[in-house]
Amino acid sequence: MSAALDETERAESIRMIRDSAAAVAPPGGDLKRVRSLRFQDPGFDPGLVRQMGEMGWIGLRVPEAQGGAGLGMGEMCALAEEMGAALVPEPLIPCALSAGLLAALGGAGPLAHLLAGEMVVLTAWQERADTLEVPGNPDAPRKFLPMAAGADMFLLPVREGGRIALYEQLAARADVTIERTQDGGNLGTLRPNPGDAKRLADDVGEALAQALDEAALVTGAYLLGGMERAFAMTLDYLRTRSQFGKIIGTFQALQHRAADLKMQIALTRASIEAAAATLDAGATGDARRAAVSRAKARAAEASMLVTRQCIQLHGGIGYTDDYDVGLYLRKAMVLANQYGSATLHRRRFMAVAPETEE
Amino acid sequence: MSAVTIPAPAELDSLDDEDFRLVVRRFLAENYPEELRNPPKRLHWSENQGWYFKLAEKGWLCPGWPKEHGGLGLSPTKQIILTEEYERHGVARTNDHGIVMLGPLVIKYGTEEQKQRFLPKILTGEHIWCQGYSEPNAGSDLAALRTEAVLDGDHYVVNGQKTWTTLATDANWIFLLVRTDKNAKKQEGISFLLVDMQTPGITVRPIINLEMHDEFCEVFFDNVRVPKENLVGQLNKGWDMAKALLGFERIFIGSPRQSAYALSRLKILAERMGVWEDLEFQDRYARLRLELEDLKALYGVYVSKLKRGESLGPDVSMLKIIQTELFQSITDTMLEVGGENAGLLEPMEGNRDLNIGGLYIQARPATIYGGSNEIQRNILSKNVLGLPG
Repeated sequence: MSAALDETERAESIRMIRDSAAAVAPPGGDLKRVRSLRFQDPGFDPGLVRQMGEMGWIGLRVPEAQGGAGLGMGEMCALAEEMGAALVPEPLIPCALSAGLLAALGGAGPLAHLLAGEMVVLTAWQERADTLEVPGNPDAPRKFLPMAAGADMFLLPVREGGRIALYEQLAARADVTIERTQDGGNLGTLRPNPGDAKRLADDVGEALAQALDEAALVTGAYLLGGMERAFAMTLDYLRTRSQFGKIIGTFQALQHRAADLKMQIALTRASIEAAAATLDAGATGDARRAAVSRAKARAAEASMLVTRQCIQLHGGIGYTDDYDVGLYLRKAMVLANQYGSATLHRRRFMAVAPETEE
Repeated sequence: MSAVTIPAPAELDSLDDEDFRLVVRRFLAENYPEELRNPPKRLHWSENQGWYFKLAEKGWLCPGWPKEHGGLGLSPTKQIILTEEYERHGVARTNDHGIVMLGPLVIKYGTEEQKQRFLPKILTGEHIWCQGYSEPNAGSDLAALRTEAVLDGDHYVVNGQKTWTTLATDANWIFLLVRTDKNAKKQEGISFLLVDMQTPGITVRPIINLEMHDEFCEVFFDNVRVPKENLVGQLNKGWDMAKALLGFERIFIGSPRQSAYALSRLKILAERMGVWEDLEFQDRYARLRLELEDLKALYGVYVSKLKRGESLGPDVSMLKIIQTELFQSITDTMLEVGGENAGLLEPMEGNRDLNIGGLYIQARPATIYGGSNEIQRNILSKNVLGLPG
């Protein structure tokens, strides 16, 4: 249904999603809550995940018939952007990935609990760093599971012959090790126990590929929200900080650097929004992959550039943990490479995007 | 495509946008001289007048002018489509300062007498205009201009010098920004004056640029007497008028076309040089290509704004910066990939697609003209980001 929206309806729908995001990420709100959850277990607030479920966010992309909101990538990206601006640590993106996967399988397994925010369900697809490939080796440790310290269940893709089957495994009995991340969250490694896993579906290859693409794009949107907010903080600083008897924002060297960051943010927004529109128009296969890779490559690189320059433009104060701008850099360090680094996505773009005629 | 018929000029604006695009394609296929496609240099009047007269004959010369003045009265969206198709077909620019700059200004600010006197002669090609804005000491800081017009009876007496006057050797009229009040704040003492180039006291001297082309000129004014009815709009309001004319057309300076053309030539060159498969080259090429794709998306954002009837803010400066710097990065890469061939004065192997040095040189002024990229960054930081000073 989402593809049927016209431009005006889509803009209105996106505006409503942004408004509703204020429930979790109030505009101008501080980062006290985010700070209090840092470097603790599980690194996020399960109560807030339930709230996200109640608001329909986890199933934003899931068809209405399966209990979701049936909205498009335009809305999902707008929501993620608002989350990124407020550095919301709850694992909305990995949960939405699992929800998309289960919905594609006809609503298998824990979908209802996941949509309600009652269970954090993570898809344990990744076997090595910086990849979008799902080898599905039955015994291979599954790595880089975001916020695994608070997971209730894992979805386990396993190669069987030429296909990828899907299993579920309860987190409570699973062998998981946790490593903390720069942003105060954590990444888990799951050593699968096939004996304890329940089979959900026979063939999830294409559904998983699509869900991973969507997660990559939505992560780009989260990064966009973060860099916008960090940049806004930096502009405020440039407008007020005084040195040599002058507001430092009057210095042309700093003005031009700010202009350059603004352009990177504008390109990121254009790229993300174009990719979301491409997916909402029904793109599949290489067209989908090209659009996503373009946007994620841009978002990853721009977010690192913008956040590190924001530190530099703040000077010493930017290097203190007390000052919020550093939180944006640390978040970008974790998310820039999640669901594929800029390099991976540039390569994939070149492999799948046809050259345009000139 | 053969099914497309070209309607009368007055009906073009009522076409559906996509039909209009097809009509433009057909029009170009039927009317544009093949030998003038993608010229490596800006053409002189002697070379492009055939096309100018063809456009005039078909009634297509002035897409943005209202119909009552002989234009096509096209919406911004259709003007963008027209420009996209011209660029796609490799259509050369004509001597278009009368069409693009002077005509709209006279239509907006001129007297009825001035409209009657000047507009028809642009439409027939009798008057070919050039633009006298920049001066040796008024480039980026245009408002510092000093060419002076002093009223003496029924005439203004003009003294001073203009420079970077594009195709002045081809023009028989020039529109000038002149200083008419030396005591006012610099933007508030400037007026807009129309001058017949045959008037005694005018000297035009071509400047050879890095393309070895005489596109630019210096124009000297030595006691040039200009009838006072040639002043357009109010005295001392020339700056505001010239600025107000910077409308949605500013989007064109950020059109991705130039970079798209250059990138396609980089690919041809890389294949010819045998480095296309090279991994390091592929990485560089991928970056350039993604920059182009995202520029296209950003350009699309501004086109959509125009389609919704919104006007463009100062943030459109971003397009100009991104486009021109990408164009330069692409030609930088060509220079490196081409090896010794990059130093050749003529295209490599006589192939216009392998015009390495030529394209490299052509890319240089892009970051200077239309407000240098440094000025554009000043605009961004002050008018978009709200930084002080």
